[in-house]
Amino acid sequence: MNYNDKVHRIGRITGIIVLIMIAMIPTIVCLKYNIFPPFMNLVKGIGMVCMIYIPMCAAEFVTYTPMLGTSASYLAFVTGNVTNLKIPCALMCMENVGVKPQTEEGEVIAGISVAVSAIVTVIVVFIGMLAVVPLEPVLNSPVLKPAFDNILPALFGALGAYWIQKQWKLAIVPLTFVVLAFALFNIPSGAEGVMIPIMGIISVISARIMYNKRFIKEV
Amino acid sequence: MKDYMEIANSNIIFILAAVLILFVLVQSVCFLIMSWKRGIAIGISKEKMLNAVKSSAIFSIVPSIPIIISLIAIAPVLGIPFSWMRLSIVGSAPYELISADIGAKSMGVTKLGAKGYTSLVFGNSMWVMSIGIIWGLLFCIVGLKWYQNKMKNIEKKDSNWLAILINALFFGMLSVFIGPPIVEGGIALLVLLSSGAIMTILTFIAKKFKFDWINNFSLAVSMLCGMILAVVYTGI
Repeated sequence: MNYNDKVHRIGRITGIIVLIMIAMIPTIVCLKYNIFPPFMNLVKGIGMVCMIYIPMCAAEFVTYTPMLGTSASYLAFVTGNVTNLKIPCALMCMENVGVKPQTEEGEVIAGISVAVSAIVTVIVVFIGMLAVVPLEPVLNSPVLKPAFDNILPALFGALGAYWIQKQWKLAIVPLTFVVLAFALFNIPSGAEGVMIPIMGIISVISARIMYNKRFIKEV
Repeated sequence: MKDYMEIANSNIIFILAAVLILFVLVQSVCFLIMSWKRGIAIGISKEKMLNAVKSSAIFSIVPSIPIIISLIAIAPVLGIPFSWMRLSIVGSAPYELISADIGAKSMGVTKLGAKGYTSLVFGNSMWVMSIGIIWGLLFCIVGLKWYQNKMKNIEKKDSNWLAILINALFFGMLSVFIGPPIVEGGIALLVLLSSGAIMTILTFIAKKFKFDWINNFSLAVSMLCGMILAVVYTGI
């Protein structure tokens, strides 16, 4: 079996085990404490969440897996925090090492990067849970609030500055679109999930046009 | 019927959550070892891979801290163990709050932890939160092999275009997070520009003086400086 098939097999097996374990928790708790939510209410609740998140997860899958490669994708979709942690981490890592996504080397570096990132997050959250009492006043202090409120501008400002300087031609169209969209329409906060696939499509179409016109030759 | 908080903080949920998180941790270590061995097999130097480990570990600390803040927010209404499990694996803080809320509303309770939030409603929230977010993983299990083969086909036809396509997808995502602070202005814009400027300076220094080690820290340091400056700008 080649490496690629092996990764798919391990990714699928461990993924299925995780899915079963996720479902086991409410099952066991409900059986043990004899709490059975009425079937119709349960279906209604799950249906409502799925209506929002099935399209969103599909868009994430289509957008993010080409950047991450095979092993990193399986792991990223098990461990979560894909946008704010796994993607920036894996892409900067591949850049620093000098490899590209969707190459053999990129597959390895993205795999290492997402695995390490996942391990660190699990450890940090575990420490946070154990030390919640002493940490709570610090993390929730009004002085530090602006720092955590602005974590996304801080992260994407740094990422953006790096990549836009490197490939400004690819950045112009999506960035202009987003700025115009947010300036002209009242887009609610939290609409990122919907905006990311839309902007992905716009960005790819514009890139294709520029590539066909030979305005961009390679990256 | 037991008060739901007694159930929510019960040992059984702690044990189940711990087993699941431990499994995910072991899975991550296995993937790390698998990728490392593959790296050696195809001739990537240990130094390069070690750099990847270092820079990923350093970068991941800061963005993980807000997850603890979410834990502090969610744990009083959903109990510590279930919140810990949810925030350690698939999903994100906004998702957990939205889905738990929908779980409560579908049982006729106005919101999380409100009057009438019984163990029955807690059970419903648990189910809704657990099932609502599995789709990304499910799509990987069912369709990743097929989708990656499509990518390989594009690469065979035109590897330049595949690289551009991936970068274009990334810029689509970047623009969604860069655009709003530009439009809103204020502290968010100042932070965006500041961390961008710091990143630019660090990259310049690394390149100019051939300090490659700086690249392992540049994203983490720029982000952290941006966050510290957010506190400074707010104080001014």
